Parts: sequence; C-alpha cells; structure tokens
Amino acid sequence: MEYILDVQNIQTFIGQYHILQGVNVRVPKGSIVALLGRNGAGKTTTLKSIIGLTAPREGKVIFNGQEVNGMRSFDISSMGIGFVPEHRAIFRDLSVEENLKIAERKKGDYLRKKDFIFELFPDLKRLISLPGTSLSGGQQQMLAIARALVPDNQLLLIDEPSEGLAPVIIESMMAAIRELAKESTVVLVEQNFLVASKLAEYYVIIEEGRSVQDGNMKDLVADKAAIHRYLGAA
Amino acid sequence: MNSFLRKNFIVIIAFAVMAAFLIAAAQGMEKKDFVITLLRGLAVGSITFLVASGFSLIFGLLDVLNLAHGTLFMIGAYIGWTVVVRPDTFVDLLTPLALIASGFALGDVYPLLASRIRLGSSMRRILPWALILVSLLIFWRILPRYPIAIWDVENYGQSPVTFAFMADSGTRLPVLPAAFTEVTMSSALIGLLLASIVIAFGISLFDTSPRTVKLTWKNFIWFAVALIVAIVGVVFNNAMTDYLFGLNSNWLFFVAVVVATLSGVVLGGLMEATLIRPLYSRPIYQLMLTLGMSAIGIEMVRAIWGRPEFVMSKPEFFNGGGEACPATNFADWWANHCSTILFLDGRVRVYNEIFIPLVGLVVLVSIWILLQRTRLGMIIRAGVQDREMVEALGINIRRVFTMVFALGVGLAALGGVLAAPSSGLSNAMGESLFLNALIALAIGGLTNYPGAALGSVIVGMIQQFIIKYGQIGIPIPFTDIVFKPTPPLVPASTVMLMVIILLILPNGLLGKKE
Ligand SMILES: Nc1ncnc2c1ncn2[C@@H]1O[C@H](COP(=O)(O)OP(=O)(O)OP(=O)(O)O)[C@@H](O)[C@H]1O
Ligand SMILES: [Mg+2]
Repeated sequence: MEYILDVQNIQTFIGQYHILQGVNVRVPKGSIVALLGRNGAGKTTTLKSIIGLTAPREGKVIFNGQEVNGMRSFDISSMGIGFVPEHRAIFRDLSVEENLKIAERKKGDYLRKKDFIFELFPDLKRLISLPGTSLSGGQQQMLAIARALVPDNQLLLIDEPSEGLAPVIIESMMAAIRELAKESTVVLVEQNFLVASKLAEYYVIIEEGRSVQDGNMKDLVADKAAIHRYLGAA
Repeated sequence: MNSFLRKNFIVIIAFAVMAAFLIAAAQGMEKKDFVITLLRGLAVGSITFLVASGFSLIFGLLDVLNLAHGTLFMIGAYIGWTVVVRPDTFVDLLTPLALIASGFALGDVYPLLASRIRLGSSMRRILPWALILVSLLIFWRILPRYPIAIWDVENYGQSPVTFAFMADSGTRLPVLPAAFTEVTMSSALIGLLLASIVIAFGISLFDTSPRTVKLTWKNFIWFAVALIVAIVGVVFNNAMTDYLFGLNSNWLFFVAVVVATLSGVVLGGLMEATLIRPLYSRPIYQLMLTLGMSAIGIEMVRAIWGRPEFVMSKPEFFNGGGEACPATNFADWWANHCSTILFLDGRVRVYNEIFIPLVGLVVLVSIWILLQRTRLGMIIRAGVQDREMVEALGINIRRVFTMVFALGVGLAALGGVLAAPSSGLSNAMGESLFLNALIALAIGGLTNYPGAALGSVIVGMIQQFIIKYGQIGIPIPFTDIVFKPTPPLVPASTVMLMVIILLILPNGLLGKKE
C-alpha cells in the first residue's frame, strides 16, 4: 500500500515532559484515519508533531516519501499539509474572508477554491464580512476546516471537529468531511467514537503517549472489549 | 446600541471625565493659551505615539518588551543630526556599514551551505564560535583603521556641540576629508565583506533545523543592494559629500529623516535576527538583553557624540524670520515660511505644533492601512492572537517577526529625528520619552493600536496643561490662593492618571479583556 504519511516511533517532549513515547501512524493515500484515545493521551500532540509545531526529538515523520521531522512548521505545511486545530482556533480579529485569505499559499488560491468551499459550507458565504468573534461554535468549526481547504493540501489534520457541537451540526460536519476526503487524505482526531467509526476506514489508538493498536475501523467496531478498554465507551 | 452603551460604560465615563477636565481647563485660561497648549500636547503626543506604537506592535506580535526602544529613539535623533551637520561623516560610514550588513542579507543561503558541510558533532559545536571569532578579529583589524572623517568629542573646537552651534548659526566649520592611509582600500573592503559573511554564517549555524530552501534571485536582492551601496559609497565618496553639503536645509533634513528611519529599520532587523531570536524561549533573558542593549546604546552615543546637549537646526521651510513674521494666515506663511504663525494672538510654532502632529497623523493612518488592508497586516493581526496557527498555515512568521521589529524600531528612530529640531539632542532624551510612551500604552491599552495614539495624546496634553498652569497658576475656588504646579508634578501627574485608569480599567481605555 502507498502511504502518504508514515509516522515512525516519534518521541516528543514538551518542556521536560516526555509526552509522546513511541507513536506510529501510517496513513494510506486517499483514506481517512482516526486517532482515538482518552483525554490527555497525546492525540493533539501527535498532530502537532507531524506539522512540526512540537518537533519530535526522535523518530521519523515521512510525508510523500520525504523526511520532514525537524523542518520548520511553515516549510512542512507548505509541502501540502493543512492543520485544523482543536477548540476551533480561528483568528477572532480577522473577518471570515480574511481567515480564508490568510491561508493562501499562492496568490489566487482563495478565488480558485471559493466556490468549492461555499458549496461545502453555505453558511460561510453569508457571513463573509463578519469578524470571527461573531460566529457561532459550529460556524467557527466550519471556518477552521474551510481555512485548511484554501491552499492545495494533500493531507488534512483535523483535531476534534465535533467537539461541543449540536447533533444536527455534527451531521453536516460529517457530510462535509466525507466530501473533502474525496480530494485529499484525512487524519482525524475524534473523541466521539460514533462519529469516528462512521467516517474513518482505519484507526490508531493512542494511550499515554504510545500507539497501542491500529487496524481497520470495521474490526474495531466489532471488538467491544478493545473499545471498552482503550476508549471507555460502549 | 443599548448593549454597546452597557459594554463600554466605564470607557464612556472615562472619556466624559476627561472631556470635563478639558472644559474646566479651558475656563481657567485665555483662549489662545488653551489652543496653543492643546497643540503642544498634540505635538508631544505625536512623538510619544511614534515610540509607543512601535513598542506596542513589537510587544503585541513578538511578546518582546523592548526596553531599548527609548535608546533607539535617541539614536535616531543622533543619526539624523549627523546627516544634517556632518554629511561627510555619514557618507564615509555608508560603505563600511553596508559591508557589515551585507553578510546578514545572505541569510537564506547559509542553511544550504551548512547542509553541504559534514562534520562531527564536536566540530559542529566549535565551528560557529570559531567563525565568529575569526570575523571579529578581522573587524578589529580593519575598522579602527578605516578612514572616516569625524568630529572630536575631546576637543571642544571640533566637538559636536561646536559643529551644531555653527550649523545653527548658518555657517559650517571646515572639515578635513579622510583618506585610506593605514589600510589599502581593496583590503579594507574585501576584508569587511568577508568578515561579515563569515560572522553571519557562523551565527546562522546555531539554528540547526533542516530547511527546504529553493534559492531564487530574490534571496540575493538585499545582498546586491548592500554591495551597490558600499561600492557607490566608496567610488562617489567626494561627489556625494559635496552634493549633500550643497543641498539646502530642507532637502538635507528630508535625507536625514529618511536615513535615520532606515537606520532604525536595519538596526531593528539586525537586533531581532541576531540577539532577540535565540531567546524566544527565555523571555526573562530577552528582557534583560533589551535592558542591556539600552545601556550599551546610551554609552555608545556618549562615546561617539559626547555627553553635552546640542541642537539640530530646523529646516528653512519652517524657520523663516524677519519683517513679515510671524505669519498671520496660511498663505502668508507659505510665502515667508515663518517659524511661527499668529493664531488668536498666540504664536504657534509651525514645526513643533503643526508639522510634527501632521507627520504623526500620516504615520497613524499609514500603519492603520498596513494593518487593515495588506496581507502583512493580516498576518500581524492573526499572529498577535495565535502565532503557532499562522506558522501552521505555511507562513514564515519568523520573517514577519523580523519585519515588525524593524518597523517598530524604524518608527522610534523616525520619532527621534523629528524630535531633534524641537527638543534638542541629549543622552537622556530617550529615557523620559520612553517612560511617557509606556504610560501612554498603559492608559490606551498595551497592544491596541488606536489605544497607543489615544494614550499618547492624553499624556502629551496633560503634561502640557500642567506646564502651562505652572506658569499661569490655578485659582482655587472660594479662596485667594493661586496654585502653581511645580515641574516635578509633570511626570507625576501622568503616572497618577495611569494608576487611576488602570485601577478602573486594568486593560487601559481601549484594551480588550483577555
Ligand atoms: N504545554 C504543555 N506542557 C506540559 N504538558 C502538556 C502540554 N501540552 C500538553 N501536555 C500534556 O501532554 C499530554 C497529551 O496532551 P494532548 O493535548 O496531546 O492530549 P489529547 O489526546 O489531545 O487530549 P484531549 O482529548 O483532551 O484533547 C497531556 O497529558 C497533557 O497534559
Ligand atoms: Mg487534544
């Protein structure tokens, strides 16, 4: 199988804390891979280690066959990785349009992708000139994802898109992620197992900074014991 | 609208109180005094704003409290003075300074070079220091021997004070041109260029993160610019000196403003790239470093320009005198370029009270447009909130940091050179103004750009009104006592206002709650 992203045994420190102590993630091209695990397991840190915001001290991150660990964040990201952070971290002081424009990597990215983005998230079109602050939680999450769609990204790292959203909104969010996964590969961190199991084809479970189990999502759904042990959910 | 009132209740009250004070002040003095004091407050406020806005831009994006900002303001003034009074010194300095900067302009090329060199880990650790040492030795050999025509701080007749005095009275002391005697021109130029490249390469080795660099001609532009400046500076040395000496004082002043501002920009860029950058993970050290830079800056100014205060003459454009002056209206002023205009029977100094506030306004609007209407401004606003995310979008935020630091220092230097003709040059000019700027920012909101302007104007006004009342006195109601605020009350009053405002509004008048 061809892997667009291959994370090999990364060790990440934050300050003197040894947060990731061996995480392996393999992402087949064109798939959706879910990172699962309890609060504080190290899922967000894994995403940040991939994009270089918390650079791994050891191990390898290979993107499209090229070793990117140790490179600066903006260089890694420029190779075609989009990052959608947790807690809907959009730029509050920028308007919706500016939030999208700032993500341009080449001039004209925004104009080129505009229609695609507004088709996916029709709400945003209406809100285009509002400041980020005045958006609802769901709209902010849409914007955070839309922002990662502006440049040509081959890989999207999405951190807890369903966090704190109402069920109806989660539905449309899932539809949007499915739609954009047709164009690019997705690594998804998701606490809501139901959402994760419906979206992803593969999974990796992270526990206390280690990847402890991975495989096909279908197999995990059937494995009630593993779900209970690692995720504490039924 | 209602919710707007409720949300901004305290701010509105604060403005109402200040307006009441202004009206009260207007009752106590003649109309002309009031208007002129208002204009003076605006003038002081504008200079304060130039320092405060740069400081706040830097703090907002980089989280660096640049305690050297006042010193850089002062350096701007001294550089401007040098261009106006000793253009020959300025021209002589052009080449060595451009050469010293040239190596740093190649910053993008070094990582590529470094990746070609394979070394053991201990060599890797030694190499940068060895390179820095070698280049410092070369600098130490060449720089003291490099010919620069300069004044003599020790000799009163040749000191900056005397040069300033003569220039102000319209004549020039004769100057001796310098020539290459102790080193040959070619060895000096090549030596400086090499030393600069070596030291910049050495410093770049401290940053070990691998990078993908695609070199294009753009990476060499600034290097080329520096080389061209260096070559032009040495080849056309005499021609440029003669040209500058021949310029009228308006153009010379204009050149001085541009040179001082650009020097601030370059100095700020270099300072961020070499000293501030390695310390982002240690903010306390960064703070100490800027404090140290401030002290070193003041000592350098003392060593180069001496301790005594001196003046910088105003450009002719604002300095006319004679029969027709003071001017009574604008057309009249335009014809004679009087230094003052008669307004409500009071004399308004054109340079201080009209030109400086105008420049302040232009800067205010330009920076506002930069922040709100350009991509760089968008990145700055986003970076103030979330640097990591900006970087994760593929934007080289480091470079933006350098640019913002350079811009901030450039604004301070601009403030310095503009203030020089109105308040003179002294070793202490930076400190008091920096204190004003800090108070202004505390009042207006530390990282709020309009807040910086508002706070600066408030600080300027309060000080000028208190100075004015120190002259005319405040009659205390129902008594015969006339209270005259003493000079120490001037800084004390603004500090007091700051304390009061911060007690009521911890984030300043326009600061956002975090
Ligand atoms: N800046 C930091 N300093 C110290 N420890 C940190 C820091 N950031 C994260 N950690 C720790 O690293 C561990 C992993 O954090 P991470 O955010 O990756 O977890 P997560 O799996 O994303 O959790 P959640 O599901 O709650 O988002 C946690 O134990 C957390 O306390
Ligand atoms: Mg997380």
